[in-house]
Amino acid sequence: MAVAEAAPELLSPAEIDRAFRDPFSPSKRTRATSWILLLAVLTAFPLVFTNPAVTSIGVFTMFFLLAVVGWNIFSGYSGYISIGHAVYYGFGQYTVALLIMHLGITSGVSELAIVPLAGLAGAVVAVPVGLLVLRVRRHTFIVLTIAVMFIFQLLAFNFSSITGGSTGLNVSPPPWSGNDYNLPFYYIALGTAAIGLLTSWAVRRSKFGLGLLAIRDDEDRAKGLGIKVTRTKLIALVLSAFFVGIAGGLYAIFIGQVFPQFAFTPFYDLYLAVFAFVGGLGTLSGPVFGALLLGPLQQYFELQFGATTLYLIIYGVLFVVILLALPRGIVPSLADRYRSFLAGRWRRAEERRGVAGSGVTAGSMIASAPGAAPAERGGS
Amino acid sequence: MLVLQGIVDGILAGALYALMGSGLTLVFGVMEVINFAQGIIVVLGAYFTYTFASHLGVDPFVTLLLTIPIMFTLGYAVYMLLLRPIKRDRVIMSLLVMYATAVVIEGVLDLVFGGTLVEVTASYGTSSVHLGSLDFPNVYLLAFGLSAVLLAALFWILYHTKFGRSLRATTQNLTAAKLVGINVDHVSALTLGIGVGLGAAGGMLFGMTTPFNAASSYDLISRLLVIVILGGFGSVWGAGVAAIVMLVIEDVVAVVWSPVWGQTVFYLVLALVLMFRPQGLFGRRLARAQ
Amino acid sequence: MKRRQLIGRLRATGPRRRGAVLVTAAAVAAMAAPALGVGTAAAHAARRDALHGVVTIGASVSLSGDFSATGKTTQQGYEAFQTWANEHGGILGHKVVFKFLSDGSSPTQVTTDYQKLITVTHVNFLVGPYSTLLTKPASEVANRYHMALVEGIGGGPSVFEAGLHNVFDVSASAIYQGISFAKWVAKVYKPQPVAYAAITTPFNEPIVTGIKKYLDSKGFTTAVFKVYPLETADFTPIASAIAATHARIVAIGSQPPDGEGLIKDFVSSGYNPTVLFEVSGPDQGTGFVKAVGKQNTTGVMWPNTWYPGANEGVVNTEMEKILEKEIHVKSVSLLSANMAEAFSAAQTLREAVDHIKSLTNVKLIKYMHSSSAKFTSVQGPVCFKPTGQNACARPFVFQWQHGKQLQVLPPTAPGSFKVMNPKPKWGQSKY
Repeated sequence: MAVAEAAPELLSPAEIDRAFRDPFSPSKRTRATSWILLLAVLTAFPLVFTNPAVTSIGVFTMFFLLAVVGWNIFSGYSGYISIGHAVYYGFGQYTVALLIMHLGITSGVSELAIVPLAGLAGAVVAVPVGLLVLRVRRHTFIVLTIAVMFIFQLLAFNFSSITGGSTGLNVSPPPWSGNDYNLPFYYIALGTAAIGLLTSWAVRRSKFGLGLLAIRDDEDRAKGLGIKVTRTKLIALVLSAFFVGIAGGLYAIFIGQVFPQFAFTPFYDLYLAVFAFVGGLGTLSGPVFGALLLGPLQQYFELQFGATTLYLIIYGVLFVVILLALPRGIVPSLADRYRSFLAGRWRRAEERRGVAGSGVTAGSMIASAPGAAPAERGGS
Repeated sequence: MLVLQGIVDGILAGALYALMGSGLTLVFGVMEVINFAQGIIVVLGAYFTYTFASHLGVDPFVTLLLTIPIMFTLGYAVYMLLLRPIKRDRVIMSLLVMYATAVVIEGVLDLVFGGTLVEVTASYGTSSVHLGSLDFPNVYLLAFGLSAVLLAALFWILYHTKFGRSLRATTQNLTAAKLVGINVDHVSALTLGIGVGLGAAGGMLFGMTTPFNAASSYDLISRLLVIVILGGFGSVWGAGVAAIVMLVIEDVVAVVWSPVWGQTVFYLVLALVLMFRPQGLFGRRLARAQ
Repeated sequence: MKRRQLIGRLRATGPRRRGAVLVTAAAVAAMAAPALGVGTAAAHAARRDALHGVVTIGASVSLSGDFSATGKTTQQGYEAFQTWANEHGGILGHKVVFKFLSDGSSPTQVTTDYQKLITVTHVNFLVGPYSTLLTKPASEVANRYHMALVEGIGGGPSVFEAGLHNVFDVSASAIYQGISFAKWVAKVYKPQPVAYAAITTPFNEPIVTGIKKYLDSKGFTTAVFKVYPLETADFTPIASAIAATHARIVAIGSQPPDGEGLIKDFVSSGYNPTVLFEVSGPDQGTGFVKAVGKQNTTGVMWPNTWYPGANEGVVNTEMEKILEKEIHVKSVSLLSANMAEAFSAAQTLREAVDHIKSLTNVKLIKYMHSSSAKFTSVQGPVCFKPTGQNACARPFVFQWQHGKQLQVLPPTAPGSFKVMNPKPKWGQSKY
């Protein structure tokens, strides 16, 4: 909103962005260092915790990470909450399974080599789906995405000559031994997630990304300002579907089968939204954090408490508590608290130095910053 | 003839879905909350009926005297404890909170009932009324009757009580309702109570028509959401009409073609209608941008 | 002060913080949280094949989600075996202990569960989860560690098409289940229209398509073939469509709630086929009688290898007694076939291990594939095809006759009673 209003002035979008950046958020270098550190930790993780039971949780977490980062490019930035991304996930799964079957691919390496096509398939199917679902907004959009997801699931059942219907499709997984099996999947997913994150960052910084944020804040006004809203939303959806499709393709090979009810599953849709929300919707690091925290936690709970069915209760309660205590997600909420703590300290220091007379302090600057927008969007 | 039977089946089942969906759409109308827990609420109501009927040995319909007040209280409490604190991103945040609530309820039900499919049985449950070559299963006729009675009661509350007026005012304009001194939180909590109570009543009938366990809720909620969206979110009339239209279409497709396609068409109809009427069949307001 | 200057000043004096480092540190903690144990690659196989006081058998069961009902009965079958085996000298003279994990009916969790059972719990042997949908991922994981997966409830074709060498299904596979019935129909009836319906599961649908294929080849036609989704709650449209064809022969690939539901709808609409075959529903014992009314049970047929009270010898009686006691059922006839299927899997595993006198899975797989390996389970004889299907399974068909469950097909098999044909009209059977 602030961005859109300021646009007619002399400042360029990047300059405005810079100008409105919260002085108490970490510097560029700190951020870059943190990301590199995180990447290093994630890279080292399966080398330190080598037990395949742990790395297999790691693999599923990376699949989720990749998909959530993708999901966020569309839903996080545009504010259109999709609970139907399993469409692209399922499409990715079937694409890979059918290609492997019909091309007679057997070696693990060439199986993994066709995974980008799963992303492509997801991106392609996002165009017609997007043209349909993007006609509506808000709650109607949410429910319509669920409905479209079910349409795809039922079509997978119906067109059994292609999809195998209820019998599903077999994917012969790479013939690797148990101790080596997980690593390639882990690193490919991690690498793709990193690419996804770079894409997300690039989108966030671009004029295109500003358009998306403008749509999130007020679509009608964004339209009035000359943003081609449908095209902007659709491109974001296609980008986002690409990464989710790749997650689906990897999953199909990893598990070794594709079934309609597991490929187009409403649970997947919910998980993506939940992970992103818990971490911090529309920020760069929020979804990453959400996936890294909740992905393994959920599997861990099921392992620890599943036999007593207590895990659903624990998971649900934890989830309610996070949503109510940190309503904007973990990253933005904690960052806010940290920031106001710093601002308070800085203000007190300034007062001690006797420069408070200038009339403007960082504290009041933050307070007057519209809706603390930079923190919410900039990503920490 | 077959098509006619499909229409009859659809209307009878549609009335049941209208009852289960009415609570969902009412709640949305008042507080813009997509009650994602409505599916598990229905199942919870069915379990209450099942437990009371088998332990007290009374007719399932009698158990509603216990079930509805319990569920009403639950709904009221859920609003006060979980929904009232939500200040931003209401639509999606409340959806997620209600999803989490549904997960907790599902866990409790799994813990207590252990997942075994159960059914609410009544002596009159297996027979049906024949009219020419058409069948009217007793269970569905009763469901139809109860749905009609409860929905009529709902309309009476909405249009002939002070609370109903407050509720409608809140639906039309939240801020204005606040300004004229309506206690919006109280109205919202009561509405969620009523919505949940209606869902539970629907649950009793659901339990009589089909065996269920906690996992049955996921399919229910997706179908209820489709019906409510098609009818126009917030419109109780719309949900009723949409439920019957959708179930008739689904059942007719199922008898003349195939049940899997019946269900596909169920969702396709929604997609097609929304292409031309984004606000749903009976939705008055165009959805706002934010 | 101009805005740009102000901003410049703020930026110049604003504190620099390393808040993001915290994020990173927390993420590390999050990733480390599920660290279940660290083991070296070579150690797993060694620890698995070794005895740690007791013989451990691992299984993942679905205690929540879509399969929570049947997942529970699967677990009860395994638990009954644990009790039974320990009353009879355990395995190789050692106590047997089952390790269960729950999978929430999800293939993702099943994968993690079997990973954990293999590389953290180091169980000696593995038995299968519930349903074809979850058996495939489970067998893939087991295969990577050269472990056998003995299962009784994953008989859909997709499990055997994968070309895995380590999966063994002790029950009759989906395709077999309907064949005895189809052969009998083709022999007794002239070619005519047949009505089919099936639920979209990888186990039920193939049974009906198998019957259809056989009957098609004998000149029968299809009056109607209704495929319905798992979520179907209202069966009246399907029943109406079948009734409208007036077909005399009906074959349905049903699961428990819908099998009964369809019969109820047939009864209430007064449609009386002369032959009614349902994959599951009639096998639910008292549950079935209660649901459809006992006067309506007579004549209904279903394929199975086991039914409550089956005359399968001492072990079966003992198993039923244990189950009756452990799960507090009022009558043996309430027991579900899943329990026997799970029990059979573990029972077959025990026989094989006792024969090879070793805890080594590689030896076990080799032995179970050998032509000399023949086993006896509570479901009857067991021996394995190279794909893992039970080649010795008896494709029996049962029929309700005057309140009793009788084996009727194949007609020449020992113990077969005469088929009641045609099926009496609804409500007209005498006791």
